[in-house]
Amino acid sequence: MKRRGFLLALAAFPALRAWAAGQAGAGQEQATAFAPVLPGRQLVFPRDHGAHPDFRTEWWYATGWLKLADGSPLGFQITFFRVRTGIGEDNPSAFAPRQLLLAHAAIADPRHGRLRHDQRSARSGFGRATYAQETTDVRVGDWRFALVGDSYRAEVRGEEFAYALNLRPDAPPLLNGKAGFSVKAPDPRHASYYYSRPQLAVSGTLSLDGRAQPVSGRAWLDHEWSSELLPTAAQGWDWIGINLDDGGALMAFRLRDHRQGTLWAAATLRAAASARGADGAGQRAPASEILAPEAVEFVPLRQWRSPRTGIEYPVEWRIRVGRRSFRLLPLLDDQELDSRRSTGAIYWEGAVRLQEEGREDGPGGRGYLEMTGYGERIRVG
Amino acid sequence: MLDIDSLSRRFNGRSVLQDLSLHLQTGEYVAIVGESGVGKSTLLNLIAGLDRPDGGRLALDGVDYSGLDEDALTRLRRDKLGFVFQAFHVLPHLTVRQNVALPLWLQGIEGAAAEAPAQQLLDAVGLGERAASWPRELSGGEMQRVAIARALVHRPRLVLADEPTGNLDPANGSRVLALLGERIRSAGAIGILVTHSLEAAATADRILRLSADGLSELESGEERSRDA
Amino acid sequence: MSLARVFLGSLARRRLATLFSLAAIVLGVGLGMAVQVVHEAALAEFARGMRSMSGDADLQVVGARGGFAEASYAQVAALPEVMAASPIVEIDAQIAGGDQRLQLVGVDVFALAQVTPALLPRPAAASPASGVSNDGERFAVLADDAIFLARAAQDALGVKPGDTLRLQAGAGEVALRVAGDIPGAADNPRLALMDIAAVQERFGKLGLLSRIDLRLAEKVPPPGSAGDSAFVARDEWVAVDAGTARARVQALLPAGVIAEPPQAGESQASRLSRSYRVNLTLLAAMALLTGGFLVFSAQALSVVRRRTEFAFLRAIGLDRRRLFAWLLTEGALVGLAGGIAGAALGYALAAALLALLGGDLGAGFFAGLTPKLEFEPSVTALYVLLGIVAGVGGAWLPAREAATVSPAQALKAGDEAALPGGHGHPHLALLVLLASLAACAIPPRDELPIGGYLAVLGLLAGSIMLLPTVAATIARHLPARGSVPARLAIARLAAAPGHAVVAAAGVLTSVALAAAMAIMVTSFRDSVGNWLELVLSSDLYLRSGRTASSTYLDEDLQRRIAAVPGIASVEFTRLDQVRLAPEQPPVALVARPVVPDGSELALVGAADPAASGGEPNLWISEAVHDAQGWRTGQQVDFPLAGRLVRMHVAGIWTDYSRPTGTVMIDLDDYRRLTGDRLANDAAIRLTRGADMQAVSAALLALAAPGTIEVAPPDEIRALSLRLFDRTFAVTYLLEAVAVAIGLAGVAASFAALAAARRREFGMLRHLGLARREIGKMLALEGALAAGVGVLGGLLAGGAIGLVLIEVVNRQSFHWSMDLRVPWGSLALFALGLVALAALAAVLAGRQAMRQDAVLAVREDW
Repeated sequence: MKRRGFLLALAAFPALRAWAAGQAGAGQEQATAFAPVLPGRQLVFPRDHGAHPDFRTEWWYATGWLKLADGSPLGFQITFFRVRTGIGEDNPSAFAPRQLLLAHAAIADPRHGRLRHDQRSARSGFGRATYAQETTDVRVGDWRFALVGDSYRAEVRGEEFAYALNLRPDAPPLLNGKAGFSVKAPDPRHASYYYSRPQLAVSGTLSLDGRAQPVSGRAWLDHEWSSELLPTAAQGWDWIGINLDDGGALMAFRLRDHRQGTLWAAATLRAAASARGADGAGQRAPASEILAPEAVEFVPLRQWRSPRTGIEYPVEWRIRVGRRSFRLLPLLDDQELDSRRSTGAIYWEGAVRLQEEGREDGPGGRGYLEMTGYGERIRVG
Repeated sequence: MLDIDSLSRRFNGRSVLQDLSLHLQTGEYVAIVGESGVGKSTLLNLIAGLDRPDGGRLALDGVDYSGLDEDALTRLRRDKLGFVFQAFHVLPHLTVRQNVALPLWLQGIEGAAAEAPAQQLLDAVGLGERAASWPRELSGGEMQRVAIARALVHRPRLVLADEPTGNLDPANGSRVLALLGERIRSAGAIGILVTHSLEAAATADRILRLSADGLSELESGEERSRDA
Repeated sequence: MSLARVFLGSLARRRLATLFSLAAIVLGVGLGMAVQVVHEAALAEFARGMRSMSGDADLQVVGARGGFAEASYAQVAALPEVMAASPIVEIDAQIAGGDQRLQLVGVDVFALAQVTPALLPRPAAASPASGVSNDGERFAVLADDAIFLARAAQDALGVKPGDTLRLQAGAGEVALRVAGDIPGAADNPRLALMDIAAVQERFGKLGLLSRIDLRLAEKVPPPGSAGDSAFVARDEWVAVDAGTARARVQALLPAGVIAEPPQAGESQASRLSRSYRVNLTLLAAMALLTGGFLVFSAQALSVVRRRTEFAFLRAIGLDRRRLFAWLLTEGALVGLAGGIAGAALGYALAAALLALLGGDLGAGFFAGLTPKLEFEPSVTALYVLLGIVAGVGGAWLPAREAATVSPAQALKAGDEAALPGGHGHPHLALLVLLASLAACAIPPRDELPIGGYLAVLGLLAGSIMLLPTVAATIARHLPARGSVPARLAIARLAAAPGHAVVAAAGVLTSVALAAAMAIMVTSFRDSVGNWLELVLSSDLYLRSGRTASSTYLDEDLQRRIAAVPGIASVEFTRLDQVRLAPEQPPVALVARPVVPDGSELALVGAADPAASGGEPNLWISEAVHDAQGWRTGQQVDFPLAGRLVRMHVAGIWTDYSRPTGTVMIDLDDYRRLTGDRLANDAAIRLTRGADMQAVSAALLALAAPGTIEVAPPDEIRALSLRLFDRTFAVTYLLEAVAVAIGLAGVAASFAALAAARRREFGMLRHLGLARREIGKMLALEGALAAGVGVLGGLLAGGAIGLVLIEVVNRQSFHWSMDLRVPWGSLALFALGLVALAALAAVLAGRQAMRQDAVLAVREDW
């Protein structure tokens, strides 16, 4: 496997959000002037769908559920990171590693029992890795994530799987935090620009087990960029992005300190489609509710111990958002990603179902849960 | 029996043997005497299959071998003939018993199957106790007794002895000759002793003189009287 | 087999002769084995290095050593057949102010991970287990001041992570931080790694790549598939054909840039050193051949002594074939024992050679490698077999002789004089000699001068066959006067030349060998000396470090050099390497001012420069002439700076310093065509009366200490010749061994015959010859025998030397040289050998002479 060597080489680039976020708080020794994240900036689309290379870190992060022709469910994830290293800013070499692009994709298949995943990375230049600033269009090798017309296009070719998916949004971007200014810690210095695209209608082709088949489903996209994301005290974090069956959407995250207590939390809850009119369509921004840290609570319900790493993850949760309470259940328990042999970064990221508690007849939901920092302390700034 | 009919041999146009005939029965032991250069060795070589006649016939036990090729002659010598030489030709790097066993080895008989008859014959020539010795520890007479044992170990039909006492002092010589005659007779083989010494020839049953005119029988009376 | 005792017992009885034969075979096998094993070890180590450097690469894109335009990378990497492309900038970096060199590889770790993961660097402080994060090192693999050194390289340089390492770049220095190691290549003492962008910027390689390592995809989507159809199941993809993929890559590359399998490098390395190795192996084979002759003499003499024994055995019924087979078995046994002992000796020698001279036996092909000796079953078996062949071959003729002997005749004793080879085959000999002449015309196959080797063998065989005639002729013309011992000795040579021939055959072989090598090496050395004289015609030479790839003189420094007081004129030289064809070793490119008619070059044949204003002139070395088939006056397309430039082959010259070939073009042409204004060397002429010391000092003061070197021509010449001598040191060893074997042959044959001649000696003593006089006779006989051999050997050696010079070296090294015969040393060598042979004969005969004369006469057996 080349992958092991790959991770060894990078020794620093596990493709996961928390790690990349950790980058954001790191490295004070570089004199590079990264653009600061300040409140009050108005996000302008489609310009802000594009890349922001002045900032240290940026990602486009799509997760969702797919349905095969026979109705069986799968989880998928595709992420493109852009990292400004602060290295070689003045180097005239075309290879100067000023910007790195890292892509990571995974398929969660309950029949397979564990994740299949693959990754690509390259420095920008020579067409090996590119990003557009006008709209979403990031590529690493033959992997691509781009906004083409009114739909996103995700293309991935891995050793064990490949897919080409179209992800079609039903509404304008859902701005998290204060109009897209998302605070990550009590100190507002740790913040990002952050918007989500929930309820993406997915259609496309998935090649798995040597067979290509049409798939459809529903997905979630995050686009976030920052220069200093996480405070040093952060041990890890939990994040969910759930498409609710009623057309609503829920994003919630919390940062944990080294005693696994909550350091900071936030959530965005988009109203159900019915609340926006019977047709549910249209590009008017649906109503959404931004919740303060104290209104968001993550309560672990069931632990799962990884047979490989011995790490225990809370794979079932109760999540309280304002007055509503939801229960989270994993598509499969083993959605752990292990890159311990290289970086020591081990995390859990996978497809989950959601059920609103006390309203068993009420709308459920499906989405993704990411948990980091449960094993060794995650490398954060 | 050995049948020699009208044998002739020429060297460089010079006739050495001409129209020579000789018939020997099994168990006969004859001596052939003659002047130097009269063709004794040539005759012996022809009989031994070491040389081929220009004419005539040689047959051992009725089998003609005058026209055989080199390989067949070699086989004949190996299986049917025994030799005793003037120069002993005892190999210095083999023990006495190994030297005696040599003809059996050449027939592909090895190990005890070869050593036992060798030892038997050594006992018969009175050297049974020297079987493990090296030839350099033997006297000339003992060496020739080893050669006699070797000439008989494979029960040959015909034993050829070429001046076997030429390198021995008289006392040792007569002892070796007596032994040779005794062993040939007891083996029931045909024996031919080639020598220039009438004394030595007298130990055979008959004496033939080889001259330019061919083989002629020496009167037994005139020779026997000198014997004893 | 009881019969074994009859024959092998006899071997044990003539211990001395057997021992000599054995020793000769041991030496021959041992030397050949040692050369082979050392070379295999070096090549294996080289291949290991190449493999770890090329990893899983299926193809490598290579070009001039100076690099090729990086634009190719984007195109090649974008091909669907190319799964991963790893761009490399490689530099032979020199430690600032020091002699050590590093193989500095500039990589893109992201691509490296997919093609050559074994070379991935490991930052020193990035140990996740420590729990202490160190963000300063997080991007260490990308940092432009970070260098990663293999553990062995750290040890060799005495640095550890965190230390600063200074490397020479141009005529300046670059300070780098040792940031970690390379776990996958820990024992490579020269390997260093940096980020590709940093190497490009800091070592003046912007825009250039040295290499692209490619991993090909196993399958690609079916042709014409686009959009979602490109995501069809892999089962429906089509397999990639390596040849097609290579062609598609090649189609994207500019002139002089070549896509070839990584193994090509290995085979180039093996080819580079093969000629040298083949020459050494040939020498070892000669030693083995001499050993075979020794077996021949020992067996021939033993057969003579055992004539009556064989006759007796034949008489009592041993057939001809068995006798022949057993005599061959005797030889084979000596060969087998010699082969096994020789193989052991070979390994011991190889270990010693590796320790003393290195993997290339001092020839400089594998600098920096530390090969490990490994047991090679097939090579060992081959050499043991060669030992057996030598033994059997040596025993063949005597065995045939013995088998054909008529038993009836041989049973009569005293037939000792009839030695084999007594008459020789002069007609056949002449035929063989003529055939060897014809063999010289056979063209080399795969760079191996087959014809030359055949000619060498033919010359040797022919002269040995001619030996009896020569011996008889010599004896006939020697004066039949003088002392009794002398007359006896000469009479013996005349009457029984067979004995002399047997003793002389070994001498001839070894002398021929030694003489040929001496003539070849002398001619070569002399030619190199003259060539250096011609090439080093300036007053002072300057160069920027040892490596042309990372050390250079930039334009500013060139101007400052020219401005140093005392300098009348400066001629700058730019060095590079270009690739003319796939899977051929690179060719050196030398750009320096060339006089239009090329008269300053060591020209071979006439020059035919283009008229002024015509195509630029290209002066090619003999190796390029041979490899490319370019002829003087021809127009050729020559790759320069990524495009083909039409150039005129103006002439062919000799370049002894670069065996893989050199092309020279005028510096102005080079600069005009490439835009490269750097230089590596400078040849300086001083003004009249200028002080060389002062100028040298002024020159050295122009750059950081140790970054430029200044030397007068005589110093360079001396250094070059010292290197030359080191390269040929091993051949001297082989020559010495061959001569020793030849002498052993003389001793062995005299020892063997002396025993048989005891009666003769006894008789001579009876007649009143003193023991001393018999010794004199023996000495003379030895001297005569050796003299015949030496004479024949010198003649054959002269011819073989010519073949070596005109055919073997011309074809394998592509060098022509002027014949020069070291008359003085050859004469001294010949006389010494004759004297030694006389001594050997006396010593060998001593045992027989000591015996009581009376006893000896009387003894019969």
